[in-house]
Amino acid sequence: MAEDIVDVLIVGSGASGAAVAWSLADTRMRIVCLEQGDWMNPADYPSTRLSWEAEAHGIWSTSPNIRRRDTDYPIREDESPISIVNFNGVGGSTVLYSAHWPRFHPSDFRVRSLDGVADDWPIDYDTLAPFFALNDRMIGVSGLAGDTGSPLREPPLPPVPLGLMGETIARGFNRMGWHWWPSDSAIITQPYEGREACANLGPCHSGCAKGAKSSADITYWPVARRAGVELRTRCRVREILVDDKDMATGVVYLDENGIERRQRAEVVVLACNGVGTPRLLLNSKSARFPEGLANRSGLVGRNLMLHPWGLIQGVFEQPLASRYGPQGCCILSKQFYETDLARGFVRGYNMQISRGAGPINTARQGLVRGQIPWGAGHHEAFARRHEHLINIGICIEDLPEEHNTVTLDPELTDSSGIPAPRIRYTMSENSQRMLEHAFARGTEVMQAAGGTDIYTEGPIRYAGWHLLGTARMGTDPERSVVNPWGRSHDVKNLFIVDGSVFVTSGGVNPTSTIQAVALYIADQMKQRLANLFD
Amino acid sequence: MSTSRHPVDPPLSPEAISPARRAVLERVLDMIVPPLPARGLPGASQVGVLARLLGEGRGALPQTLRELDQLEARASAEQGCGLHELPLPALQALVDAARAADPAFMQPLALEAVTCYYQDERVLAAIGVEPRPPYPQGYQVIGGDLELLAPVRRRGPIWRQV
Repeated sequence: MAEDIVDVLIVGSGASGAAVAWSLADTRMRIVCLEQGDWMNPADYPSTRLSWEAEAHGIWSTSPNIRRRDTDYPIREDESPISIVNFNGVGGSTVLYSAHWPRFHPSDFRVRSLDGVADDWPIDYDTLAPFFALNDRMIGVSGLAGDTGSPLREPPLPPVPLGLMGETIARGFNRMGWHWWPSDSAIITQPYEGREACANLGPCHSGCAKGAKSSADITYWPVARRAGVELRTRCRVREILVDDKDMATGVVYLDENGIERRQRAEVVVLACNGVGTPRLLLNSKSARFPEGLANRSGLVGRNLMLHPWGLIQGVFEQPLASRYGPQGCCILSKQFYETDLARGFVRGYNMQISRGAGPINTARQGLVRGQIPWGAGHHEAFARRHEHLINIGICIEDLPEEHNTVTLDPELTDSSGIPAPRIRYTMSENSQRMLEHAFARGTEVMQAAGGTDIYTEGPIRYAGWHLLGTARMGTDPERSVVNPWGRSHDVKNLFIVDGSVFVTSGGVNPTSTIQAVALYIADQMKQRLANLFD
Repeated sequence: MSTSRHPVDPPLSPEAISPARRAVLERVLDMIVPPLPARGLPGASQVGVLARLLGEGRGALPQTLRELDQLEARASAEQGCGLHELPLPALQALVDAARAADPAFMQPLALEAVTCYYQDERVLAAIGVEPRPPYPQGYQVIGGDLELLAPVRRRGPIWRQV
């Protein structure tokens, strides 16, 4: 029997893999996607049960090392102050993400030219602009046009509710004379494309039972599959194969029964995120690629950027009902986003105002931070905080540094015996200064809004959502892993479409930009089909 | 189509916590979150924490048992009796001393205690939270006053043109 060869094989069904699968489907090529996790059943999400908060500390944890599902792989991270959080399943980490949806600014693509640090991207904002807009329409994004803090855009749906909490902190920003704006959110606030509107369940980080959060499994995948893309779950890819002409020939994977299989392909697309993609490339060693596939630059796994995350929390006397509404989406501030060297650092950060915790996390955090005591004072201290908190998350732009890496651990493996990734990450002095600045400014705005007992912490340990930079794009094969349209410099039928290709990290949640880049790369592939490998 | 089917581990045997340890733990749990009858709040010993320590919260059990061993040794050395025989004030003093020396002492137990406590329907009702999951009803949240954006709009664009 002739060996089955598909036209395009995508590894990973998350934000970028789903977008590329949908985009390429109109070529009528035969496209197969291999996903190591399962389809999610919204009825399984914790918000359908009274134990919703407790479950987020177990099998619904955002950390694969805590969650330990059989579809996860472990990550060694004892040499990093930030732990990786992700999800393995159809839709990838969008299943558990907060859906906060800012996009990169034009300046984010020109950091070398503007600020003399890192490198410029080989593409610019204007190139991506149509793909940002297309992506927003495809998945359903809410927001308010006219933002003075970031590039012009027209979110198709009205913004998520501010709530008493949002109004309260917005007044604080106004007293400071600072920018704020309702957050763009990948959450539908009105019925959209057959999906029901958000009902303010709250725990977006544990999956959206309502289906209002625009995760890739319920946005791109249904359309892509109707267009003929085949998605195979519980397929764990071990290695990418190459021939003696440096062309990828397919992959070796383990199916749901642990049986080793090969899938041949004309084109291989990696969409496994900024940790999973370098892990797979480094696991694909061969005589022609002894340091890992597509790694003749030596940059696969280097320049890891994680967005060190800071927290400023304030207690307010009046009840704010702050736990209700989309957990991570309310308002944001770009006041300190663009470079101002007078602040003592280069580049900047976003302030993301998020909702307060439910009762369990209010109590747990209060105990750990010494804000809620044992004993007689417990009840009063709890009541003073529960639904009285406002959180400001700080997303700082960390710059690419080659010593921040994803490598293979010499001992740790997943349950299939495949070497696990090992993270080494240190915060730069610039990042430290930025975080200190954010704590000071965040404290000021909290106080201006009426907050007391201000608490600051950072980098937050379990906040390594944004996995960027480990297979960067560029024009120079010595200084980058893929070219300006995502094709490996070394392997001309291998594409990378996830956050690995980011040259710099911006200072915002990156999924909007990841999907815009993925759609751009898919579009480039379609335009070049006749000479894709030249 | 395969959907998520993560296996759930069966709970540990009840014998993982001896009767004497159970008695001590129940007293310690009420030190963490004491009952407050005036507000209808039970103590943490009444909300199933021990069952949780054998199930979803089993990760906290080994350290908790080690910490009880430490207290046991100190009770024996200082009071000449077993931990479970100590009167409550003496047990409280032992725990307080251990926590004063190490604020993280018994923290895993405390975290499991409040995790259990704040999903108990009696507790939720007493603190004014509807004892129901968020889905399907969801919650009403006020849209908020977008006129608050007026000063932001007046200041005009602040992003860097390239």
